Amino acid sequence: MSVESNAGELAAIDKLYQDYSSRARELKKQGKKIIGYTCAFVPLEIITAAGFIPFRIKGDVNEPITKADTIMETIVCPRIRSCLDLSMKGNYDFLDGIVIPHACDSICRTYDIWKYTLALPYSHFINMPHGTDDSSLRFYKAILNTFRKSLGEFAGHEISDAGLIEAIKLYNQNRVAVRQLYELRKQDPPLVSGAEVTEILVAGMGIPVEESTEHMEKIINEVQQRTDRPEKKQARLMIVGAELDDVAFIRLIEDTGASVVVDDLCPGTRENLPMVDITDDPLDGIAERYLRKVHCAKTYFEQIGTYQEYLDDRFGHIKRAINDFKVDGVILYIYKYCDPFGFEVPAMKSYIELTDVPVLYLEDEYSMSTIARLRTRIQAFLEMISSR
Amino acid sequence: MEMAGQKEKDVTEQKQPEERKKRRTATEAASRVGSMTKAALSEVLQAKAEGIPIAYTFICCGYDEIVRAMGIVPHWVENYAGICGARRDAQRFLERAGVENLSRSLCTYALCGLGFDAWREELGEMPPDASWGGQVRPDVMLGSGQILCDPRNKWFQAAQHYMPDVPVYDLGLPWPPYEDDYDYREVQDYYIKYIVEQLRGLVEFLEKHTKRKMDWDKLSELIDLSDRTWNMIWEAYELRRAVPTPMGTGDAMNTMSPLNFMMGTQQAYDFFKDLYDELQQKIAKKEGVVENEKYRLLWGGGLPAWFALNDFNYFNSKGAVFPVETTYRMVEAIYNFDIDLSKITDPLEHIAWRWLKFWTFWYDKARKRPGSHPDVEHLIQYIEDYKIDGVVMHEAFSCRTWHVGLIWQLDLLKKVYRDIPSLILESDIIDISSYNEVDTRARIDAFIDTLEAAKIRG
Repeated sequence: MSVESNAGELAAIDKLYQDYSSRARELKKQGKKIIGYTCAFVPLEIITAAGFIPFRIKGDVNEPITKADTIMETIVCPRIRSCLDLSMKGNYDFLDGIVIPHACDSICRTYDIWKYTLALPYSHFINMPHGTDDSSLRFYKAILNTFRKSLGEFAGHEISDAGLIEAIKLYNQNRVAVRQLYELRKQDPPLVSGAEVTEILVAGMGIPVEESTEHMEKIINEVQQRTDRPEKKQARLMIVGAELDDVAFIRLIEDTGASVVVDDLCPGTRENLPMVDITDDPLDGIAERYLRKVHCAKTYFEQIGTYQEYLDDRFGHIKRAINDFKVDGVILYIYKYCDPFGFEVPAMKSYIELTDVPVLYLEDEYSMSTIARLRTRIQAFLEMISSR
Repeated sequence: MEMAGQKEKDVTEQKQPEERKKRRTATEAASRVGSMTKAALSEVLQAKAEGIPIAYTFICCGYDEIVRAMGIVPHWVENYAGICGARRDAQRFLERAGVENLSRSLCTYALCGLGFDAWREELGEMPPDASWGGQVRPDVMLGSGQILCDPRNKWFQAAQHYMPDVPVYDLGLPWPPYEDDYDYREVQDYYIKYIVEQLRGLVEFLEKHTKRKMDWDKLSELIDLSDRTWNMIWEAYELRRAVPTPMGTGDAMNTMSPLNFMMGTQQAYDFFKDLYDELQQKIAKKEGVVENEKYRLLWGGGLPAWFALNDFNYFNSKGAVFPVETTYRMVEAIYNFDIDLSKITDPLEHIAWRWLKFWTFWYDKARKRPGSHPDVEHLIQYIEDYKIDGVVMHEAFSCRTWHVGLIWQLDLLKKVYRDIPSLILESDIIDISSYNEVDTRARIDAFIDTLEAAKIRG
């Protein structure tokens, strides 16, 4: 389907963001099958190649968590709780299946709860290893082959190499568009705000990849002519954290007087930039990309060289983004109960501070109820940056 | 320096370990565990003094025999955190971790360990009055990437912030998930291949960083010893089916120490042989945990609040006993597996198969009951074998590994089996600030009333 162009692409994206599952519902009515998933570690190329529409299950910071708490403990990542809560309330009742990867404990330890609570026709757990060495890569490829076979059986046909290559190309085009979008943020003031980028990426998680690319390409053209570009603000910030699928936090920062110009988030640079190489066996390229190129705290990168070099391997991309996007300050935005990112904080914070860029560490609960507290912290941080 | 000094002052001013009355145990074996554990920690301190390589290790990582066969001394970090918790001495290390910007919502074992390490590294010596001599600086740290627990591959990486020269090995140890769309046997071969490669990598890592060579014959001997220990534990614990039960979960929270921290040693085998003999004698004399056993309970999930083990005695005071628990029962009888491990000649492959068969042990049973799940099937089996009247679980806020899915398991148990009285207690493994004794005991009292009502209803 061609994306409609009316009052402007940013307005169209805002509409999709606000009514996140609207397009998936339309597609469902047209007879498409929709597969839900929960994290950047689900290889979307395989789902697309099977003929399904991947749909990222997102939460809602405005919706109090009620139903999920009747079946799942509250000691889980609040975003995942919100995702399950919305699913149980019927927000995603069009799903035909769910795929959950071995990401963090909050995701993988709740797989059985998702599976039994939603009782969807299809469910699959992708048992991705933590390690990235060669044996882990071989194992992961075997895991992906199991997924490919299983999903193919659900689809009623084998997932072909040609189909996989076609899907890889579609996702790579999307990743190129995201990179171009981020380039527009290097200017001061940026051509596109942090809140707008978050909306574009989040809306893209709920629609077919080719539609997301088409929207983005139009937006890239549109914002270069825009007269209402974001204002120059007192500081340019980078946000680092796990998954941010709601614009409220970014909007809060931008309303408080800073521009969010880059991130290390999902969705964001972590998830949306790494490309898949097209290899003889397409699963090789897919396995390499998801295991080794997506720099998430859950992945265990082996130490090669000195400890300082190890830190460069783990956090060097943050330092490069600080330089490339002329960042004045970094906010580590971590949800409560997030073990992978929570344990990173001391080393990551020290590493970033060595670049002479100040760091604000915020622990949050994925709820609008914390906004006032966060605003105070951000205001103080911006004052500190201004006084430097 | 001023900042560091202030940190030290703030933390040392915290309350010193509270002297606790020793918990009453039902078995003589369990009463010996404290001194055994203390002696094991002394051995680590002694080994450190003698220059023997020390490895930071986690329970349930399959590498026990490998480490021991190479003459490397394991220091079990969860054990040390648990000791700090049981002695009510963990708070100062948790607070130190907070100063390091580590969230209190993370695994408190890890926070306690990291707080201790940060403090020790800053001082260049053990923190003041460290419980049982303290946690030594290791030569290597052995993490593990499983489906089980994020802190196992993040804790030691975080510890390198304070000990950047100490290398880490992250051992990949997956097992196949329980799925509707395929049977685990369809994929087990590539799991085994991967685990063996990872174990081989571990041996190479240890040889490189400790200069110790693997003694492959010794490894095979220790694996055989562990297999026999697994069987002995299983047989001893099965004796607890007796009415009245001769041993409860309170004691099992002691005997978990040789089970988890001494595997691959003759001492562990002998300990469980003694326990087996003792339980047989108790059964012959009809000597139970309590004189008048009224309610038989299953500890159906969750690690205990180490600082509140006396709650088990409180249950006992109401006539309630725990003949069985799923927690820390990290063994099955080897001879019940659908594979003859004795025929596997490669010791690493032996470890891999034992690992995989342990984690998939309940899958076939679950497959036979529509809508069931291995974790729930495990509960059902114990409920039937041990004549259980009710299920108690504990939700520790800082640990997602063992404490997510408890509500769902009870819900599913009701759906696929039957409604059985249940109680989920809430606090933490070692963070005592999460615990309220009055509230906990009020909930236990109410649960006892529920059990009584259920008995009356028949």
